[in-house]
Amino acid sequence: MSELTTSGSGYRSRIRASATRLVCWQGAWVVFTALMAFGPKFLWSKALLFTLLAVALDVAVGVGMILATKMYVMELDELQRKVYFNALGVTVGVAVIAGIPFSVMDMYHVIPFKADIGYLVILMGLTFFVSFLYGTRRYR
Amino acid sequence: MRNRLKVLRAERNWTQAQLADALDVSRQTINAIETGKFDPSLPLAFRAARLFGLRIEEIFHDPALNEDGSNPATKIKRDAYM
Repeated sequence: MSELTTSGSGYRSRIRASATRLVCWQGAWVVFTALMAFGPKFLWSKALLFTLLAVALDVAVGVGMILATKMYVMELDELQRKVYFNALGVTVGVAVIAGIPFSVMDMYHVIPFKADIGYLVILMGLTFFVSFLYGTRRYR
Repeated sequence: MRNRLKVLRAERNWTQAQLADALDVSRQTINAIETGKFDPSLPLAFRAARLFGLRIEEIFHDPALNEDGSNPATKIKRDAYM
């Protein structure tokens, strides 16, 4: 068996570190979004200063999450990046195609509830998850 | 695009994981290239060629070309002028 020299940092360890960092940022963003959404009602009785502070923190953590996502994608190898971008493309398409009719149906009271942005976020999350899983299995 | 990656790897008794580490990609990517599901980029093909000590065309083949590497389209054109 001939000797094989491997790359210094190791692809797997770099991806693991990058994914861990991304998960931490995502977790922080979820916490700060919950704080921003429920804090005014349950924690500081709608005090404007605290609400603005919570919004600013949420946006700041959101920017951190975007940068962590960018770093994660840059670490991926070419096949995994392709799978990721394909899933992202499908997600954006589904969001636009489903989001606009959903909003129109709300506008003309076709649906008996308000077209909340939360529904779209859930749909996007599920779409990305399924597309990413499909892409990963396809190239297995 | 066809390739000889699996054969070359087997000749050296390397696992997919070892080759993936050496080329700085995931094992999934090596498997996808070997099974012809994914064509590598030119930089990755160059890395593979360097690793095996071969030229790119000795690892990766264009299925549209003849077995000897000549272009059938060129042959048709040449024949037309003869």
